Amino acid sequence: MGVPMRRLANILFFTIIVLTHGGLDPALRVAAATPPPAGGSEQAVAIIVNQSNPVENFSFDDLRKIFLGERSHWPNGRRITLVMLDPSQPERKAVLRDIYGMSEKDFNNHFIQGVFSGAVFVSPKNLATPPDVLKFVFNVPGAIGYVRASDVDSTVKVLRVDGRVPADKDYRFRLNARSGK
Amino acid sequence: MVFLSPQLVLDLLKRLFSRARVGSIAFLLCAPMLMSEGVLAQQVDGGDADKQTIQMLIRRIDQLEARVAQLEASKAPAPAASEQAPNPRAPAPPAIETEAPAEHSEPERMDMTKTLLNIRGFGDVTLHGDTHRGDTTSFTLGQLDLFVTSDISEKFKFLSEVVFEAGDDNVFGVDLERYLLQFSPNDYFNVSAGRYHTGIGYYNTAYHHSTWLQTATGRPFLFQFEDDDGILPIHNVGVSATGMIPSGRLGLHYIAEVGNGRASSSPHAEPVQNTVDENNGKSFNLGFYFRPTGVRGLQAGVSVYHDGLRPIASPAISETIIAAHAVIVRPNFEWLNEALVIRHAPDGSTRVFDTPGFYTQVSKRFGSYRPYFRYQYVNAADAEPVFPQVRRQQGPSVGVRYDPSDSAALKLQYDHTTLRGQPATDGLSLQLGFTF
Repeated sequence: MGVPMRRLANILFFTIIVLTHGGLDPALRVAAATPPPAGGSEQAVAIIVNQSNPVENFSFDDLRKIFLGERSHWPNGRRITLVMLDPSQPERKAVLRDIYGMSEKDFNNHFIQGVFSGAVFVSPKNLATPPDVLKFVFNVPGAIGYVRASDVDSTVKVLRVDGRVPADKDYRFRLNARSGK
Repeated sequence: MVFLSPQLVLDLLKRLFSRARVGSIAFLLCAPMLMSEGVLAQQVDGGDADKQTIQMLIRRIDQLEARVAQLEASKAPAPAASEQAPNPRAPAPPAIETEAPAEHSEPERMDMTKTLLNIRGFGDVTLHGDTHRGDTTSFTLGQLDLFVTSDISEKFKFLSEVVFEAGDDNVFGVDLERYLLQFSPNDYFNVSAGRYHTGIGYYNTAYHHSTWLQTATGRPFLFQFEDDDGILPIHNVGVSATGMIPSGRLGLHYIAEVGNGRASSSPHAEPVQNTVDENNGKSFNLGFYFRPTGVRGLQAGVSVYHDGLRPIASPAISETIIAAHAVIVRPNFEWLNEALVIRHAPDGSTRVFDTPGFYTQVSKRFGSYRPYFRYQYVNAADAEPVFPQVRRQQGPSVGVRYDPSDSAALKLQYDHTTLRGQPATDGLSLQLGFTF
């Protein structure tokens, strides 16, 4: 056991060096809590759910788990159905950047592996336009999606994230890339 | 007896196509009936079934007509003005606000009018050569893995992995590697019944039979499949429960499994007891792992597996497998560490056989390239009663994975493996893995 243990120690040392010298994923740092830029609420991306959903507020961590598929049920037991806009839509880019911290390819791989391993119960549904998302969320009680805040109407409910709504100055999901990027 | 006369078919068609908007749906509903008309006409029995089918179709047509009428009515007047400022991107308010969605009204009813199957495939082709005496450099077709899922209802899901694979005799065979019905009422209790990958450690339930998903060209020694001289009960048939444990930011989860365990009566027996267990004893596996929200991609946990093995020619053996893992998996960085001990304790003997093993694997992505390194080790006693052929194996693997597209990966890997009592071997593999 002596030789392999020494080799393992060397390997651990090597990986620690990698970790401590810029080895961490820069994309993940993007999603870390950083102050959002100044900007009007019209550029905010609202997280929307069905009007019948009793949830009003989510922490960012819980919201991220839902978007990652790590949580598959609402507190009332209904299954969560995540709706994503098509890759061409700017709202999707903002969500990938601010919630997932992933590229489009990483996002696809995450759900392929998640469904494959059983960790994710159901893949997200892709819809072409914000009106499609609004209609879907209206019709499916367990749905959660996102649209530009200016697209929101009375048919859906806007979730607070960490107690903040899109009109708040320090709301964290916006179309524009955050400062420093 | 009810005879499905042409007149009746015409009448149905007339009703079906009276609404252009439901024409396509109606055709789909009607087509199977038309195709089977000749067969039905020849049948003496089964009249009740025909009658029920007709009644069901008529009811379905009525429902569709009512739905079309509602939709058309809703389009006629201008949509109600939104309370908010006019917005060209905003949708019209939903037409029937009081109508409960189908999910509400019949949450557990299966839609029989469409297929529910989702299929994803994985495959690989490998060119491999090594210095082991007797081995030849060969192109090898890897497993062709068809991963099939079906969302049966809001809480039920079917999942299977059908694998086509050639053995050392170059003959292809088919294996049903996973075959599960999952019931998921909430995040705290999800239960699956069928054939599953045992929740020992991390690797076995993370990558299953896809090489494309794996960074390296193959699985670590510890997690080789049973038919590749693997030492773990990778597959099991039984019931598996998983779920979250309320623990806040710690993200604690559990896994509990009861199954037939591995076959042990003979080394030549099919290792997975798919239909008949050799004995009444069952295998148990209990594990816990956490995924803290504070460190993204981190998962760490332990599991304990226990089974009783009953070899025909030797005393019964108590098998206990204790595994621990700590992994960080992020899109651009991966660090997998797993260690386990397999303990075999023959009845009536004071000797206990402990087989320790571990592997560590690290990789980092640079654009489309991902260099990786793995070191692995397993050490079984020469007299080990269950897998005497394993002995001690250890060595490093170095490779690079290149992703030319989102669905294909080219991997080049060098392996150096030392084996107790045999010369070390060096191997080189070039593998194309893909998903489709």
